[in-house]
Amino acid sequence: MSELKPEERDMTDEHLAESLLADETNERTTGSERPDSALTGSELSLSYPTSEEPVVECDRIDVPSGEITALVGPNGSGKSTLLKSLAKQLEPDAGRVYLDGKAIDKYDDKAFACELGLLSQQHDSPTSLSVEDLVYHGRYPHRGFFEQTSEEDHAAVERAIDLAGVEHIRDKQVGNLSGGQRQLAWIAMVLAQDTDVLLLDEPTTYLDLHHQLRVLETVRELNEERGVTVAVVLHDIAQAARFADYLVAMQDGELYDWGPPREVVTEELLADVFRVEAAVNYTPDPEIIPKHSL
Amino acid sequence: MDASLISLCVGSLIIVVLGGLVQVSFGAFTMTIEEAWRAVFDPAVVLNPDVWQVFLLGGELPDLGKRTLIVWNIRLPRVFVAILVGANLSVSGAIFQAITRNELASPFVLGVSSGAGLLILLTLVVFSGLSLFLPILAALGGMLAFLLVYLIAWKNGTSPVRLVLAGVIVGTVFQSLQTGLFFFIDDIGVVQSAIQWTTGSLTGTDWEQVRMALPWSITAVSLALISSRQLNVLLLGEQTARSLGMSIEKVRFLLSGVAVIAAAASIAVAGIVGFVGLVVPHVVRNVVGSDYKRLVVGCVFTGPALMVAADVGARLALSPVQLPVGIVTGLIGGPYFLYLMRKQQNLGEV
Repeated sequence: MSELKPEERDMTDEHLAESLLADETNERTTGSERPDSALTGSELSLSYPTSEEPVVECDRIDVPSGEITALVGPNGSGKSTLLKSLAKQLEPDAGRVYLDGKAIDKYDDKAFACELGLLSQQHDSPTSLSVEDLVYHGRYPHRGFFEQTSEEDHAAVERAIDLAGVEHIRDKQVGNLSGGQRQLAWIAMVLAQDTDVLLLDEPTTYLDLHHQLRVLETVRELNEERGVTVAVVLHDIAQAARFADYLVAMQDGELYDWGPPREVVTEELLADVFRVEAAVNYTPDPEIIPKHSL
Repeated sequence: MDASLISLCVGSLIIVVLGGLVQVSFGAFTMTIEEAWRAVFDPAVVLNPDVWQVFLLGGELPDLGKRTLIVWNIRLPRVFVAILVGANLSVSGAIFQAITRNELASPFVLGVSSGAGLLILLTLVVFSGLSLFLPILAALGGMLAFLLVYLIAWKNGTSPVRLVLAGVIVGTVFQSLQTGLFFFIDDIGVVQSAIQWTTGSLTGTDWEQVRMALPWSITAVSLALISSRQLNVLLLGEQTARSLGMSIEKVRFLLSGVAVIAAAASIAVAGIVGFVGLVVPHVVRNVVGSDYKRLVVGCVFTGPALMVAADVGARLALSPVQLPVGIVTGLIGGPYFLYLMRKQQNLGEV
């Protein structure tokens, strides 16, 4: 080992994991501002088979434990791609993602799905599927191949249906629901998965205001009552700033800024990342007022 | 279990029983319907475990009445083979429709029929010494073609579209080779035999065919029932299935394997019967919805109903000439499919 240059040593996984763990212990002992992370990405380089250049390059991303983190950025900035790699849906070309300090590729598929749930941007289901049956599919990772549904499954499904507020439509077919109701039904499904970490990819896009708020309230409730760690891609930056504890702003596949909304959402960010000249007021909720037309 | 599924199963059962009774009552050896029915319920067979052992495991039959022998040893086995083939093909088609997420998928979408067809022709034309093993070779050809399709489609994993495309590629090439081989046949008898195998026929099926297909059918159908939850999760889309922790490539390959076993078992006893595996899952889905537990159960009943009814037509319509049953399934299945398509706005949604 002694011949290795420091840079090369940095490349080894063991060392990386050690340094990450060391980081965390240091933080705890020194009481630094950085909170414990449930999910950490380090030295990530992400691309799709069809793309030549990396779509996302990111030295370090933290999803603080027990908090809500919102990923914001313009279209094509790599938010969804980053979320996919955090959810083990996209294998990074380089770098690693750690869940509770353990590299996610070391997890068994089902074990991982018991810890982390993901609601994708697009999902389709057979139209004749009932909402209740859809929610039961959320129990998939908890059940063995031959296992029937257990008491625990029933309890988790009831809780999820209650939390997402889809009790009144539980017997309806998914195909007959409005877009907002359907989204809530899908959220109930990931809630039934009963994970400590929940990733949501644009859960409010295309929903009317009422259903947007319903979705966000459900997520907030889950976070406050059950301490679930949430990372969510949101389009509306004002909404993200109101809703999240932490913001991750992305630009052109890189992390632009990271921190509490008040520190991240600035006129400078809006100009740099979103190319909008706007004033930011906190009243105390953030308000974003464009200064002139584009 | 719900009312729609039960009525579908009961309805199918009635068709199977009626079709079976027609099949045993008519044929080259004339007997009255009453005589035929009495032979069906002949206690010397029905209540005799020794006879059943011979039927299911092979061996020498004890002395039975002439009519009983004709009914039980010639006419009924054909009905049983039709039941097995119908169930196998429909379950296989249902599985492939979930795996490829394509409503036009059938048991033969991944090259199984073309592989089987090519080996049938090769056996009949080139390696005629092996014709005794034709059923097994046909099934084997189907499985090999399936593996080849998977190999072609594989590139760091696969996807429904890649699989279907690879199936089309392999199917096209094998189909051409198969058609080419027809030119080397001089004997019209061999041509007819080849057509019977490649369009599917139950002519001359016997207890031996029942014995050959039964274990595989039971295996494939039970595996399909056990896997119904996996199939249901596959319907939620690849991404959702993966985020729920399904090892999607493994599950997809194993389920395809189950579907191919079912298809191969039916090819070994009846040749390549078309359309059953495509139309039956649609019919069942139309009645019981897309839940695969109910769908597979429905297919196990409805497939045999279509197959037995079609074979009545194949055997008796132009008597004494017997048509390949595959021709009749196409003639019944096609218009029924058209009717469904006209009636049902959202037909085609898997």
